[in-house]
Amino acid sequence: MRRVLMRDPIFLIVFTILMGLLLLSIGNTIFRDGQVDQFLNRYSEEGRLIGIPPLEPSKDQWLGTDRAGNDLFQMMIEGFKWTVGICAIVALGRMAIGLLVGIPLAFRGARLNRYFKIVLDGFLILPISLLAMMMLFSSLMFADSTMVPPLIDRVSLQLTVFILLGLPAVTLYLVTEVRQLLNREFMVVAETLGGSVWHRTRQHLWPHLVPTLVIVFMQQFVQTLMLLIHLSLFGVFFGGTVFLFEGVMPTLFEWSSMFGYYFKQFTATTWMTSHMFLVPAIGLSLLVFLSNLLTSRLERAFRLRRQEAIVTDETISQAEAAAATLDEPFMLVYTDDALQLHRKKDMSG
Amino acid sequence: MNWIARKSSQFLITCFVLIGISALPSLVGQLEFVPSNYWGGLQQQVGLLTKLDEITYYNVTAQRELPLLPAIGPLMKETVIIFMTSLVVAVGFALLYAYSFYRSGRRVRTVMQQTSQTLEMVPDLFWLIFTQFLAITLYKKTGFDRIEVAGGFAEYIRFLPIVTLSLTILFFFLKWLTNHILQEETTPFLELARAKGVRPAALFWKHLLPNLVYRFYLFFRSNLITVLSSLLIIEYLFNVQGIFRFIVYNPSMPILLVILFVIYIPIFLVDVLAEWLIPDAWKGGV
Repeated sequence: MRRVLMRDPIFLIVFTILMGLLLLSIGNTIFRDGQVDQFLNRYSEEGRLIGIPPLEPSKDQWLGTDRAGNDLFQMMIEGFKWTVGICAIVALGRMAIGLLVGIPLAFRGARLNRYFKIVLDGFLILPISLLAMMMLFSSLMFADSTMVPPLIDRVSLQLTVFILLGLPAVTLYLVTEVRQLLNREFMVVAETLGGSVWHRTRQHLWPHLVPTLVIVFMQQFVQTLMLLIHLSLFGVFFGGTVFLFEGVMPTLFEWSSMFGYYFKQFTATTWMTSHMFLVPAIGLSLLVFLSNLLTSRLERAFRLRRQEAIVTDETISQAEAAAATLDEPFMLVYTDDALQLHRKKDMSG
Repeated sequence: MNWIARKSSQFLITCFVLIGISALPSLVGQLEFVPSNYWGGLQQQVGLLTKLDEITYYNVTAQRELPLLPAIGPLMKETVIIFMTSLVVAVGFALLYAYSFYRSGRRVRTVMQQTSQTLEMVPDLFWLIFTQFLAITLYKKTGFDRIEVAGGFAEYIRFLPIVTLSLTILFFFLKWLTNHILQEETTPFLELARAKGVRPAALFWKHLLPNLVYRFYLFFRSNLITVLSSLLIIEYLFNVQGIFRFIVYNPSMPILLVILFVIYIPIFLVDVLAEWLIPDAWKGGV
């Protein structure tokens, strides 16, 4: 799979863009102390005032500034690591707990799994963002910026809620996936030969599960991003919301919070043409698009990897033709290495 | 009989789970998880089951508390209209796409496959902004002002929410349909039908499509939460007078309980009907 990915130019380009943005964001924190430049007024070469914040995109401020004069490009760079970090932590958390619960459950009988599915079915009808908003609203709304509790408390609560609310769907998916693998021939053979649950999981199940987990990680990453966007539109920003005289404000400027914050500064249609709204909106749409693209390339690599191990019709027909010409048609006469290799791979899992 | 008992127990279990979910907002208080609060919330929600008609909400226009149950009817109607119309439009276009894909040559298929894959990656947020942007641009260029970009207090907005949700659902369907048509094409029963001289149109509509119906339903059902999430954000941003926007503006546990049941009961009934009405032959090995 890794070899396929390293030869895939689309995967490499997307990966480089995302890693480049992440490095820039981390670099901004390390080398510039996370500083974002402020430009209060714009002057012409003759020294005449030609613009006040929010400044339109220009040669000096590539993406323009917001009402406070903050450079939007620098804010986007600074906020990227937060957005990506939150989504990655939530996705990893859901997968880790999902695996801890899902794998032992998958080894149990079908009846228990059916009940488990029925119990969790209720979680699959209500949008998570709605439930998250109702759970977090009272804890993350602050009437004054002096009343804001430490960042670690706010972030840990929010991350826990995000992980827990997405857990039922991930666990159900992983249980189904593991149960499908358990029905494969090599797993049945491993069980017949007396392999313990731990041995079968570590030696046989895990190598087959890793590619699926990579794809699940990317899917959860995108879902968390959408959850953050929805919450920010409802006014529940990541890290908390401070009520000000002129409206609500996030305590942390990551991409989805910027999007919700700027969106709330406009009336019904004026946001449509404002760069302040369009910059985070396009940025988030692109991030979702690139993450989905990465997922599809991973799926492709995974598919190609599986196809490598599949014996083609041609090899089967060759073997059949060879067998038909023999005096002892039931004797093992594989002439093709691929067929034997496939058998070996299947046996070893 | 066994089937009825199984379905009834499933319904009851899910109802209990829904009560548990509706009490979840009480679990968090002052940046902490408080299990005792959750227990209290749970008891409150169970108590509400016997007096659902007493649940009220604060009506901003009337400036007072009003009963929820008669008021939720028009909201539900609006949500159902938008959801069902979008679903019908999306399924219609998806079928057209599937048929064209089935009848196309290899080169056209590659283009269609790549296009559908790319469109599926675009988030609903983009379509939401894009449709509003198009409506505004149309108005600016031509003066055509019949397309509403946001609903008002007594104004219903339907066209743009339906277009946006249809696009989201449609692109969600296309990739699945493409993959499954390619898989089904190589199945022996289609090979046999083709060898017997059945015309391609009949092959698609009479043999391939019925075989996909139940699986398509299961796929849609398992991804319903994604569609409902899109509907939630569409209702909120377009100011649609539907149940999802209503709960965002009235985030209380009793209202959440009612809304959960209002969403779940129709879904459960459709599930039962689908399992009952779709012939076993169409279900295949599913």
